Amino acid sequence: MPSDARMQDSNPFVEIATHLFLEDLAAKVGVAGLNNYLVSLAKNLAAAMPREEYASWSEFVGAVRDSQSILSTFEEVRPVTERCMSTLRSPFERGWREYAKRVGSFAPVHREVAEYYNHKVRPTAVTSVHIVLHTFREAAAARIRVGDDGVRYEPVAAAWVDGTVQLPEGPKLESLLKRAGITRTKLGMLLRNHSDVWLLEPA
Amino acid sequence: MIDVALASLIEDMIEKAGAEGVVEFWQRVGDNLAGRMGKEAYLGWTSFNVAVREARTAFSIEGEVTPLTDMAITDVDGDVVGYLYAMRQCCYVPTIFRTRFAVGRMSPADKAVTEEYNENVHNIAVCNFCVFHERFREEIAKNVTVSGNPLACFLLATRGWSGETKISSKNVVQVNINEDHVRALLRNYECVYALVLRGARLKGDR
Repeated sequence: MPSDARMQDSNPFVEIATHLFLEDLAAKVGVAGLNNYLVSLAKNLAAAMPREEYASWSEFVGAVRDSQSILSTFEEVRPVTERCMSTLRSPFERGWREYAKRVGSFAPVHREVAEYYNHKVRPTAVTSVHIVLHTFREAAAARIRVGDDGVRYEPVAAAWVDGTVQLPEGPKLESLLKRAGITRTKLGMLLRNHSDVWLLEPA
Repeated sequence: MIDVALASLIEDMIEKAGAEGVVEFWQRVGDNLAGRMGKEAYLGWTSFNVAVREARTAFSIEGEVTPLTDMAITDVDGDVVGYLYAMRQCCYVPTIFRTRFAVGRMSPADKAVTEEYNENVHNIAVCNFCVFHERFREEIAKNVTVSGNPLACFLLATRGWSGETKISSKNVVQVNINEDHVRALLRNYECVYALVLRGARLKGDR
């Protein structure tokens, strides 16, 4: 969560209720249907937020770091290189902890829909909320202009609250790491202390 | 961020099922969550109220709840059969402010669901979350026993983020609480409800 004093924390009960909402929805529309709803809500959310423009890449990265960008509205982002971003904590961690404490273990459908997304879209989701996060960041990045260029988002790896890590394998990962300007070892170090590692580059 | 995104999801659902469908959906979610919370038993009102104060009950999932132990509810024989409980802040208010600073303004879907509920179910909602919340509490109450008796919940009053207030005339009469007392509580609290022993012969029943 950005350290902006105006942006107070949510009540975790709202997050728990939303997760139950998604579970009930999945019971009606299935895993593929839930995936569509998650993608749609993330796109709608990004589309409702103002567009951004920056004169230079360094100005843009500074805005992301200082919680002034659409990309850092819901989470604290720490740039590792000019292209590689890391997120200290998942914005869903509080909700997940409260769910586990008050309700019990997460319903399996949250993992099932992530597996569907990994198979159909890209292999970077551990639970349902990662679908929201990846889709939101992608749609939000598309609303940003840096000079004459657009901005493209691509996830590198996600580590969930329970330690589960999801990342692409083989040449795909090597390509992402090269574009991000980090090594495999550096990625392992980041995943130990951060929740997500992702890539921003001119489109 | 999922809390802010919820309004987008509701927008999507209104397109498919209408505001009426969303109200039914929210109520079913309230049933389901309450069903997953399990049962609780307390020896008497004192132990229950201490548990509420220490955030140990299922009701505590909502946030900080204050038992108003100076506002007891009595039955026709004058025995204490319940109390009023209140939350200083509505669960959804932080999300409304987060939406203000992230998106710019609250989705009209919130108002559509609120109005649908007020017109056709119970005129007490100040936001779409009240729809889920009222049902959740009613169902939770059935799973909590005090002195061996399950509870019943009556939502009495709400205050929205912009200051509008709602008082449930039928529930205020049911638990025999003076409406002015409830209105006064809304100066300090945003959500006031009563928990009473299910089946108690309340004065308002007469």
